[in-house]
Amino acid sequence: MAVSVHIDKLNKAFGSTRAVDDVSLRIEPGELFFLLGPSGCGKTTLLRCVAGFCIPDSGSIRIGDADISNLAPHERDTGMVFQSYALWPHMTVSENVAFGLELRKISASERKRRVAEALEMVRMADRAHYKPNELSGGQQQRVALARALVIRPQCLLLDEPLSNLDAKLRLEMRSEIRRICKQAGLTAIYVTHDQKESLSIADRLAILDKGLIQQCGKPQEVYLRPNSRFVANFIGETNFLEGTVRSASDGRLEIGTPIGNVVSTVQPPQPLRAGDPVTLSLRPETIRVGRPQAGAANVFDGAIHDTMYLGEVAQHQVTIAQGGVELKVFELHPKFVARDEHVEKAKAWFEPEDVVVLTK
Amino acid sequence: MQRNLSHLIFWTTLTILGVALLAPLWMVIRGGFFVGGEFTLKYLAGVFQNPIYAEGLLNSLMIAVGTTALVTLISVPLAWLSNRFDFPGKKWVSGLVLVPMILPPFVGAIGFQQILGQYGALNALLGLGPIDWLGRGRYFGVILLQALSLYPILYLNVAAALANIDPAMEESAANLGCPPLKRFFRITLPLTMPGLFAGGTIVFIWSFTELGTPLIMNYMRCAPVQVFDALKEIGSNPFPYALVSVMLSVSILLYAASKLLFGRKAFAMQSKAATAATSTSVRGIKALLVLLPFVAVIGVALLPHAGVILTSFSEPGSWYQSVLPAKYSPANYVEALGHSMTVSSIRNSLLYSSMAVLLNIVIGIAIAFVVVRSEIRARGVLDALAMLPLAVPGLVMAFGYLAISSQFSNSDWVKESPFWQSVFDVRVNPTLFLVIAYAVRRLPYMVRSAAAGLQQTSVTFEESAANLGAGPFTTLRRITLPLILANLIAGALLAFAFSMLEVSDSLMLAQRMDFYPITKTIYELFQLIGTGKYLASAMGVWAMGFLTVTIVGASLILGKRLGTLFRV
Repeated sequence: MAVSVHIDKLNKAFGSTRAVDDVSLRIEPGELFFLLGPSGCGKTTLLRCVAGFCIPDSGSIRIGDADISNLAPHERDTGMVFQSYALWPHMTVSENVAFGLELRKISASERKRRVAEALEMVRMADRAHYKPNELSGGQQQRVALARALVIRPQCLLLDEPLSNLDAKLRLEMRSEIRRICKQAGLTAIYVTHDQKESLSIADRLAILDKGLIQQCGKPQEVYLRPNSRFVANFIGETNFLEGTVRSASDGRLEIGTPIGNVVSTVQPPQPLRAGDPVTLSLRPETIRVGRPQAGAANVFDGAIHDTMYLGEVAQHQVTIAQGGVELKVFELHPKFVARDEHVEKAKAWFEPEDVVVLTK
Repeated sequence: MQRNLSHLIFWTTLTILGVALLAPLWMVIRGGFFVGGEFTLKYLAGVFQNPIYAEGLLNSLMIAVGTTALVTLISVPLAWLSNRFDFPGKKWVSGLVLVPMILPPFVGAIGFQQILGQYGALNALLGLGPIDWLGRGRYFGVILLQALSLYPILYLNVAAALANIDPAMEESAANLGCPPLKRFFRITLPLTMPGLFAGGTIVFIWSFTELGTPLIMNYMRCAPVQVFDALKEIGSNPFPYALVSVMLSVSILLYAASKLLFGRKAFAMQSKAATAATSTSVRGIKALLVLLPFVAVIGVALLPHAGVILTSFSEPGSWYQSVLPAKYSPANYVEALGHSMTVSSIRNSLLYSSMAVLLNIVIGIAIAFVVVRSEIRARGVLDALAMLPLAVPGLVMAFGYLAISSQFSNSDWVKESPFWQSVFDVRVNPTLFLVIAYAVRRLPYMVRSAAAGLQQTSVTFEESAANLGAGPFTTLRRITLPLILANLIAGALLAFAFSMLEVSDSLMLAQRMDFYPITKTIYELFQLIGTGKYLASAMGVWAMGFLTVTIVGASLILGKRLGTLFRV
């Protein structure tokens, strides 16, 4: 029953700003797909193009087999959850939810049943007769979701749906949204700037910047194998090291950097030869401080000069002796909080399979 | 603010409002319902049984209903168009559309009759016989004229209400499959209701109790004119009191209903709009189609003004059964400004208005301070009282002041002293009552603008001054006042402009020629046989120019926020 969404060579400019720049995407039936990026990257514009509120300059959008590019918003059969929820203050919760069904000429009895069912699904059945402004932010969010779901749209669109909620509620709602989408078997496009949200519940995600898709893939692919400095920096935290390829041989690269030679066994985005300039991305949690295993490849002398204790994790600033480069290191379940002389002079080391080589 | 000080200000302002606002209202009610100390409904019943009074009330109600309906028909589409579309010249027409406010409709009535009357310009232009476009009994003329001068109030309210709607409200309806027209009636219009009703209430009350327009249009069978005619019997006849009481009750009930039905909270937008409202940019033919309604409304609305200006420049008698006046001359201005009444009336109006505005500023700031900054529980009462003059017809207030004055002037200690007579007897000197009346009637504008300024100004500015050792008055003078100065100036300018052209109080309270304000002079000049309407028009043009300058000044200072001053 779920359908795919095809976005083909879509362009949209506001004046001289290219908000969406030749974007092509295929979202699979039943997929929870995320558009992620910093503010102003074009992700909301892209979503509004799918909903029909933005008219693209060129390109096409297909939902299932139908080309909806030239349809008015009210003819598209998408269900959208707005950032501000946009619950109509002059209607009760159940009137809000019933509105879309009314327009679809669903019979009164069927309407009643489906409204009750949708409110049940978002656990708001007991608030059916409240007015929206008698509800808390989280409750309004649920009603907005129910209102979009109840019409059984071809595609669910979510525009930063959790950005107005507090941190705790956000955690709760994000798994809730995934549960509901999967339960209803919906194809959904979810826009956010919160990387945690996307990593935790997305099936796949696309990272946008300046209207361009920078990378598209499963959360762990994008996190572990970013394809550019921008993506590596935008998702999670990282250390960058500039360097030059010394040697390249079957799956093994040796790169000369200010801290010394670094070995990587990660497939680079394009074939490299000796002499090519590259950037290395090292996630702080892949670097370890302490006594390295025998035969470890990338081992460097250094000193911890600052530690920030964050509970489950400690964040060390490690200065590498050679080159004086500073690396950020996360230590889970930290043991080095009680600092002593012995610890301050520490070796930093990391696996070749964690050294991501970037060319842009 | 310190607690003792805020309590002191609270009680002082409450007392002032009690004396200046509630006392005259009480006099009206007492005069109508308590005769010889006994409560009676005899006169109230009498009003409805007396065919003349009953007809007058019914006619006034019909005028109000007609005017409000016409105003709604004019302003809602205009406000919607200006909210939705960007078109060339939008800046100009959205300014021009407010212009009718600069002329009290009763002055416009003179020009209107010149154009639409039986022997007016339109009939001459069309080459038709003496058709009376103003309708039998002038009923439609009164409605049209009032609607053309009152629609900006509703326009501002509706435009503001539309601008406040989160665009996502409509987008979500579209997203769920709602076509455009249905969207307007199911979503947009209901969400605009509070603004529409608030503005509509003011328009209804104003047109229900408007005195000047029917008076000049010679439409005598309506309640306000009947009250005006009964002024001479104010001491002896309880019927005018009862009539005024009925008008008061209708107005207050309507005002209360609009407050209850559409309390601010119920419709307040949940959150700031996530996306800015985007208006569609239109060019070419489409732009012309959008522009057309504006041009049409402005064109018709400015007809009375054009008529007044033309009349003022035409030689007496030379604009009759012709499209334009046959002969032009500046003689009317020379004669009008040379007339014994005019120079003193300009001086009087300036004096009354500036004193009223001074009072307004002091009381307005004090009330705004208590309402915005203090935590006194009953501050809502003070706020409601300060806004009450919007709901109370000017005619009712004027009648109340007149009643108070006649009460005073009948007591022995006033009768015996020329000094007290000149203070309390409007027949001797109306200055005190006119100043109070002007001040009370325009107080809402002042309180509204001062309160808006205070709300926009973080209290921490004042707290940090206090923290550094500034006392309450130093803080007020050095920190708060400079920060809200723009709002104060704008509010004061508006209060001043509207005081200069106030009609009801001026016509009713000023009874001696040397104390006439401008509006009364215009009315008296109009009644002169022969050159009357020409001289009145010349004065009217002078007043128009004066109001234009002040309102343009206010809008330059306040910019787009000008509209907030006209909202209930």
